[in-house]
Amino acid sequence: MTLQEIVHIYNRVGFGISYTAASALQNKSRATIVSQVFDASRKVKPLTVDVSELTAQVRNAQRNDRKKLRSLIKDSVKKVHELNIAWIYRLGTTQEVLREKMTLFWANHFVCHDKNILHIQQYNNTLRKHALGNFKDFVVAISKEAAMIKYLNTKQNKKEKPNENFARELMELFTLGRDQYSEKDIKEAARAFTGWNHDFVGNFRLRRFQHDYGEKTFFGETGNFDGDDIIEIILKQKQCAQFICEKVYRYFVNDQLDPSRIREMTEVFYKDYDIENLMRFVLLSDWFYDQKNIGTKIKSPVEFLVGVHNVVPMQFEKERELVYLQKLLGQHLLFPPNVAGWKGGRNWINPNTMMLRLNLPSILLAKGAIALDEKGAFEDDFQRFNTKRNRQRKLKVLPDWEMFYSEQKNITTTQLQQVLLVSPLNKGTATYLDKLADQDLKEYCIQLMSLPEYQLC
Amino acid sequence: MNRRNFIKSASLASTALFLPKFVSGFNLLDEAIATGKKIVIIQLSGGNDGLNTIVPFRNDIYYKKRPSLAQQKSNLIGITDEIGFHESLIAHSDLYNNGELCVINNVGYPNPNRSHFRATDIWHTASDANEYLQSGWIGRYLDASKSKSLDAIEVDDTLSLMLKGEQTDGIATKNPNLFYRSTQAPYFKKVVEHHDEAHLSEHNLGYLYKTMVTASSSAKYIYETSKTFSTKTTYPNTGFSKQLKQVAQFINSGLQTKVYYASLGGFDTHANQTNKQKRLLSVYDEAMAAFIKDLKQEDSFKDTLILTFSEFGRRVQQNAANGTDHGTANQVFLIGSQLKKPGFYNPMADLSNLDENGDLKYEIDFREIYTSVLNNWLDIDAKKVIGKPFSGLNVV
Repeated sequence: MTLQEIVHIYNRVGFGISYTAASALQNKSRATIVSQVFDASRKVKPLTVDVSELTAQVRNAQRNDRKKLRSLIKDSVKKVHELNIAWIYRLGTTQEVLREKMTLFWANHFVCHDKNILHIQQYNNTLRKHALGNFKDFVVAISKEAAMIKYLNTKQNKKEKPNENFARELMELFTLGRDQYSEKDIKEAARAFTGWNHDFVGNFRLRRFQHDYGEKTFFGETGNFDGDDIIEIILKQKQCAQFICEKVYRYFVNDQLDPSRIREMTEVFYKDYDIENLMRFVLLSDWFYDQKNIGTKIKSPVEFLVGVHNVVPMQFEKERELVYLQKLLGQHLLFPPNVAGWKGGRNWINPNTMMLRLNLPSILLAKGAIALDEKGAFEDDFQRFNTKRNRQRKLKVLPDWEMFYSEQKNITTTQLQQVLLVSPLNKGTATYLDKLADQDLKEYCIQLMSLPEYQLC
Repeated sequence: MNRRNFIKSASLASTALFLPKFVSGFNLLDEAIATGKKIVIIQLSGGNDGLNTIVPFRNDIYYKKRPSLAQQKSNLIGITDEIGFHESLIAHSDLYNNGELCVINNVGYPNPNRSHFRATDIWHTASDANEYLQSGWIGRYLDASKSKSLDAIEVDDTLSLMLKGEQTDGIATKNPNLFYRSTQAPYFKKVVEHHDEAHLSEHNLGYLYKTMVTASSSAKYIYETSKTFSTKTTYPNTGFSKQLKQVAQFINSGLQTKVYYASLGGFDTHANQTNKQKRLLSVYDEAMAAFIKDLKQEDSFKDTLILTFSEFGRRVQQNAANGTDHGTANQVFLIGSQLKKPGFYNPMADLSNLDENGDLKYEIDFREIYTSVLNNWLDIDAKKVIGKPFSGLNVV
C-alpha cells in the first residue's frame, strides 16, 4: 500500500499512525495490512474503574436513608467521570485499535446514559464485546442491559400499561430508521418487551407477572412473541442491514452516501449480520481508498484529542480539565446529548469550537492559556456556580516531547506533514507552510496541528 | 444619509472590495439593524422555586404545604391584596410599579419533564416533551432570518443548545477581548491571510475555512465595536452582574447583535432553601437593577426586551430537608418599556388542582411566549422557527 493509503486506513480504523510505523508497513499488501488490523483486535479487554469501595457501601446502605443514597449517587457519578478519563486514555494506548474505534462508533449508535457506574460500565463493556461480532446477538444483549432498560423506560413497560419508548427507539434509531414501521408495529413490539427488568447489580430479569404472553402481530407475522422474537423479525427486514451499512459508511468512509456502495455492503451484511465481515469488505474494497474518500471527514472532538495525544503523549495533571475540554469541544463521552447521540460531521464545528480547535495544540503543547470558566453542573452549590468567573488559566498538561522525538527519529518536516495532513491543502496555506519547512520539528508539528486541514481525516 | 445608513453602505462597499468571493456573503451589517430591537434571555438555572418568588400570601394551601418554608407576609414586598414579591426582588417591584414588568404565571408544557437536562433542552429547543430536537429556537431564528453567527451571543465560554441552528450557530463569548486575542495568534493571522478560495465551496475543508473566517471577523467586529463604550453605571461584584454588564456594553456600543443569553445557576434548592434562594434572587435582582439603569441611561432600554425563565418550578409540598424537589410550571418575567400588558398577565396557579405528583398544572405553553417574541418583537414568522401552530399572547 502507499503511505497515503496506510495513513488513511489507520485514521479511519484508529486515531492515526506515526511516520515510522507507516513506512514500515509500506511494502506490505492491502490484504496483509487489513488482516493485521483485525488480528490486533481479537482480544476483548474490559474497561473498568475500581468500584470496590462503592459496592461495599451500597451493600451496607439502608434503602430508606435518603441522605446516604444521595451521597452514593454523587460518588457513583464521580466514578462515571473516572470511567470517562480511563476511556480516553484507553483510546490513546490500546493495541485493539479497531475494536476500540468500533466501540466508540456503537456508543453513538446504541446511545445510553446512566449515573450508576456499575451499570454503565457493564454497558460500555458489552459494546466492546460485541463491537466486531454478530449484530443480532448485539441488539439482544443491548436490550437486556440494565442501563438501557432504565434509559429507555423498559423498566416501566408493563402488561397493564405498556411504555413504547424502547420499542420505538429500537426501530427508529437502532435498527430500521425513521418511518420504516407502523405505529401498530411499535405497540405490538412494546407488548413483547413488557416485564423486561434488571436486578440491583445489573443482571437481566424477566418479571413474569408483568409480561404480556398474548399473541402479537408484528411485520405481518403472528405469534406469542417476546423481545428476542421481535429482534429476529426486525433483522429479517433488509432495511435493517441497509440502515446499519449507511451508518458505517458515514462514520468510516464518507459523510456523503454512495448508493451503489451501500448496496454492495448491504448484500454482504444481510447474509449473516457479521460485523467483522462487513468491515473487512469495506477495508479491502478499492473504493475505500478513492481520493474522494481520503481526508474528507471532520474529526470528532475525541478523534482530535486522541490524535494529538498519539503524536505527543500528554498527561493531564488535573483530570477535570480533560473533562472540561471534552465539554468545550462538544463531545463529553458517556454524557450524550440525547438518545439520538451526537450528529457529527459539520455539526462539530461552529465559530467557537473552530477557534478552540485551532488554538488547542498551542494550549496543550506550548503552554497557551484558555478561558476556564466551566458552566456549573445543576447539582453544584451557589459557591461553585458563582465564583471563579472570567479567568484565564493555563492547563496543567505535561507533553512528553522526549517520546515525540524518539518516535520521530530522523524524520523531516515533510514526512511529518505526510502523516498529519491527509486532506488536500489550501493553496495559500501550502505556500505558507513551505516557508516554515526548515523550522524545528516540534514547532512545525504544533503548526501543522493548528491548521483547518488537521481537523480532517 | 444618517450615520447608520452610512456605516452600512460603507461596510458593504469594503466587503465587496476586499474579501474573497466565497466570504462576501458575510455582510457585517444587515437589515435587522434598522429595527434595532434586542432581546436578552436569562435562565435561572436549576429550577427556581416560583411559588416562593411570587407568593400567594392569603392562600391556606400554600402555608399548609410549606410549614417551615412558606414566606410570611411581613417579609414580602406587597404588590396586591393577595400577592407579594420575595423580599430580594426590590428592583422587580419597582419595575412592576412602573409598568415595565409583565409576570406570566403558570407557564409550562404538556407532560412536563423533571430532569434538569431534559427540561432545559425542551425550553431551549421549543420541542414537545417527547421530541428530541438538535437545534435551539434562537439558532433556528438565525437560520430563518438569514442572520449571522454574531447576531446571537451567549455570554459564556460554551454555546448552549438554544443558540445552535441547523445552518448557523450563535457565538459564545464572555470576554470580547479574550475572544479577539484567540484570533490574533501570529500563525492564525497568517493562515487567515493566506487562504484562498480554490475548491472551498462544497468540500468540508471549505466549510472549515469559512467558519474560521466568520470567527475571526466576528471576534474583530465584536471587540472593536464594544470597546467604544464604557459604562457609567456601577455593577455589583458578582459573576452574573459581570455578564449583564457585558451585555449592556454590547448593546450600548451599538453592536448589531439581536439576541443575548446569560444564565445564573444554583437554584436547585433541595435542602435549606430559604437562605440560598434569598441570596440568589438578590444576585439576580441587583444585577438586573444595574443593567436596566445602564440601558436607560443610554436610551437603549426602549428597544430591549428581557425574558427570564427557569427550566421548571418546584413541588408545592416542601420536603423534609427544608427544601423543595423538582416541579413543573413556573413564572416567566418579561421586562421592557413597550409591554402590551404590564403587571400580571394571568392569575396565579390554582393550588387546589395539582397533578398526580402534586405539581402545578401549566396554563400557558412557553412556546406561546416564544411565538409572540418572534412575531412581534423580532419580526419573523414564528412558524418558521417553532414549527408548530401557536397563536401567541398579547404581551409585546
